[in-house]
Amino acid sequence: MTERNKPEILISAEAEAFAASAAHGDLILRECRDCNELHVYPRAHCPLCGSRNLGWRKASGQGTLYSFTRMAGRRAAAPAIVDLDEGLRVNSVVLDADTYQLAIGDTVQVRFQPDAQDVLRLAFTTSAAENARAYSAQAFAMVDADRERFAAGGAPEEVKTVAVVGAGNMGIGIATAFLNAGFTVLMLDQNAEAFDRARARIAETFERDVQRGRLEPSQASAKLAALQVETDMTQVARADLVVEAVWEDMALKQEVFSLLDQHARPGVCLCTNTSTLDIDAIASSTKRPDRVVGLHFFNPAHVMKLLEVVRGAQTSDATLAMATQVGMQLGKVPVVVGNAHGFVGNRLMIAREHEAGRMLLEGALPEQIDAVLTRFGMPMGTFEMQDMAGGIELSYRARQARGEKSPIIDRLFDAGRLGQKTGKGYYRYAPGNRRPLPDPEAVAIFEEASRAEGITRQPIADAEIENRLILPMVNEGVRLLAEGVAARASDIDVVWQTGFGWPDWKGGPMYHADQLGLAEVHSRLSDLAASHGARFAPAALLTEMMATGGRLTDFEDV
Amino acid sequence: MSIRGQAHIAGIYEHPTRRADGISTARLHADVALGALADAGLSLSDVDGYFCGADAPGLGGFSMAEYLGLTNLRYMDTTETGGSSYLLHVSHAVRAIASGQCNVALITMADRPLAANAGPVLAGVDMSLVPEREFAAPVPLPPVFGYAMIARRHMHEFGTTPEQLAWVKVAASHHAQYNPHAKLREVLSLEEVMASPLIADPLRRADCCVVTDGGGALVVTRPEIARSLGRPSVRIAGCGEAMKHNAAGRMNPMSSAGVFSGAKAFEEAGVRPSDIKYASLYDSFTITVIMQLEDLGFCEKGHGGRFAADGNLISGIGKLPFNTDGGGLCSNHPGNKGGMTKMIEAVRQCRGEAHPAVQVPDHSLVLAHGTGGLMSSQHMAATVILEAA
Repeated sequence: MTERNKPEILISAEAEAFAASAAHGDLILRECRDCNELHVYPRAHCPLCGSRNLGWRKASGQGTLYSFTRMAGRRAAAPAIVDLDEGLRVNSVVLDADTYQLAIGDTVQVRFQPDAQDVLRLAFTTSAAENARAYSAQAFAMVDADRERFAAGGAPEEVKTVAVVGAGNMGIGIATAFLNAGFTVLMLDQNAEAFDRARARIAETFERDVQRGRLEPSQASAKLAALQVETDMTQVARADLVVEAVWEDMALKQEVFSLLDQHARPGVCLCTNTSTLDIDAIASSTKRPDRVVGLHFFNPAHVMKLLEVVRGAQTSDATLAMATQVGMQLGKVPVVVGNAHGFVGNRLMIAREHEAGRMLLEGALPEQIDAVLTRFGMPMGTFEMQDMAGGIELSYRARQARGEKSPIIDRLFDAGRLGQKTGKGYYRYAPGNRRPLPDPEAVAIFEEASRAEGITRQPIADAEIENRLILPMVNEGVRLLAEGVAARASDIDVVWQTGFGWPDWKGGPMYHADQLGLAEVHSRLSDLAASHGARFAPAALLTEMMATGGRLTDFEDV
Repeated sequence: MSIRGQAHIAGIYEHPTRRADGISTARLHADVALGALADAGLSLSDVDGYFCGADAPGLGGFSMAEYLGLTNLRYMDTTETGGSSYLLHVSHAVRAIASGQCNVALITMADRPLAANAGPVLAGVDMSLVPEREFAAPVPLPPVFGYAMIARRHMHEFGTTPEQLAWVKVAASHHAQYNPHAKLREVLSLEEVMASPLIADPLRRADCCVVTDGGGALVVTRPEIARSLGRPSVRIAGCGEAMKHNAAGRMNPMSSAGVFSGAKAFEEAGVRPSDIKYASLYDSFTITVIMQLEDLGFCEKGHGGRFAADGNLISGIGKLPFNTDGGGLCSNHPGNKGGMTKMIEAVRQCRGEAHPAVQVPDHSLVLAHGTGGLMSSQHMAATVILEAA
């Protein structure tokens, strides 16, 4: 777009000054040198006395809520009238904060927000949100420090060529992520036909980036040119790093790793993108278990910030240094986690989804449960997310493989309700529209499932839904700490912020538990255990930490 | 100059439609103009003063004068203050008539936001050009959020409850059942209103007015002309207008401009709030009604919620029956502007021509009040007091 075609955004010199100050986070007010009064909204004259003899004064940036309301929508936004410390009342909005906890008289602070044209506008946020963001910054810093600690024995060798094994969905996403970050990618698959689809999908992604102005056309073609494909596995010898993304099947993975181990150069790290399998069992099929590590990407791999770096029993620090450095080069947040089913992110997710499914059987509806989650601050509800990500089919197939039944998922699957891609799942979807719509046909399926299970459907209060969704995540997180799968509570929070959209203004599930107070969490879980079953029983470590008055976010597994 | 008794309202017409598919905005203006002139017993050629707001399409007054066929115009006024515009037009028309600038003033209002799929916006308003857009919040705010903030603060300061707000809607629905043209005719219970979903906490869907197409018109004329027409006389006793805005950060949202427009109208009419037998109160939202009850002096500041909850707004029961056509909350809020319909129902009451089930027995003195704009920031209030002559 040429300069001439750009819309005129900031019309006045006063607006330019205001914006320049906003860029430093400072709110400036107009001060009249004749009547000595302050006023909001920069003008070239004093609206109180008409003088043009004006100066600027930096405001404290703090104020109190005179009143507020709430806007429905994905982003937590509360239109608000704010009384600035300087005695001026402004119409504005509170953003990036828990708008459901606001009260008249609360202290708020300036947090400028870019509009659609990227011009900073006056907005506010809460102190609680700022505290959570300060905590989050520390949590991310600790993840960074881990990376440096692993590299203490020497900087990892530079990686130029990455072999991605498997040209399926995950392989394509992972290859895209590496190409995007400037690596040469050697895609390996025994099925040559898969390459056409992979190349087309990757080209599509870059094309979109060009259209959105994120990438120059020449950069896009250079990135695409850095993609090589091979059916011959011996070619893996050219790679400085190997990432495997084949079907989730232990026998297959072991076969692939044994082959990779034969042909990859000695010392080259072999990474697996498994999300469910035991890293140690995979590593055991190689002669370099110290160089085997999990790189758990989240779908879509070229978009999602989270990278779980899964440490096997024999994974060396040097390998972790390599994995975390590559993760950083990919622009991701590499969090080192232990080798346990579901690792960290999915373990908490499974705890939440299990309970969400259970409540569908008891009488709640997807839209009610999802609304509780979005009100809580999540960008999307669990059922909407499952419909989007094809969760019904994934869950159905995983259960089939384990010989397990699920009264709701099996029925949805049998009815062809696989989610957005079939136009219906937990919800229904209008053609070409991703907005979930409540569906009486789905409700009939839930009701039938309840009947078949002998459960009398009853309404469930929102507060109970929230407790039953969030507290099991906390409990599971505490177990991960006890098992050493997560080294710190803050790692779990980083995982949930970067991989699952937990808002930074709420810190993370573990920070949230600390804010509630462990005694309160313990008491609510105990109540749920009494009324709904032992699955809610507080984890032993939670009971222990509560007794000593500790906080989860202070826990260190050293 | 007091204008008390210097002009009458001789004709009224409310378009029966609530959705104007296939009817242009210009045609709506013509429909209501002809309707009001017929009600008065006058014709287009009698009109020498014309008043309209920004809903008049094209070049506004110019386009409408030509489209309607007004060939004898001596006076035109296109004052636009949102929903209160038409009450200001009445006030300006009286003054124009009193000072000899015209004899027969026609005021038209019509718009079609539903048919045009425009939503709750005002014709002729471009929010991207308001001066504070250069600095203000990144989120554009529909009016409901401003009123929701007034409601929350009112609850905080005066203990007003959501149920008290709901009573305003219940009262309106009791009246709407008798209006065959009302968009919502169902009588609502308090529980039903309270079960309505939150739109902008604490306001629920039921706390909001309807969105409708349509419009209405008024004919204001000299007393001697009005009397010659043989319709019941409706004399304009007093008018008041007042503006409030953010005042460079010195706004008190708990007090609307109605405090000033009301006091002025009462003074001009020489009457007190307790003399008023019926009130058309602007009802964009239930909280708007509560605020105006207080600011016009029908009850003490902070007591509006209780006043409504005690049933005082319901005709045949309460002290101050309001919006007996169902108002904007249930019947009609054409073009997202309720001032015209407020005037029309006040005239019906003053003539004794409201539906018998909601007609107040003593209709000697009635009031209409409008609030245009955002009561939480910039708004213009207008009050008109009418007396049966």
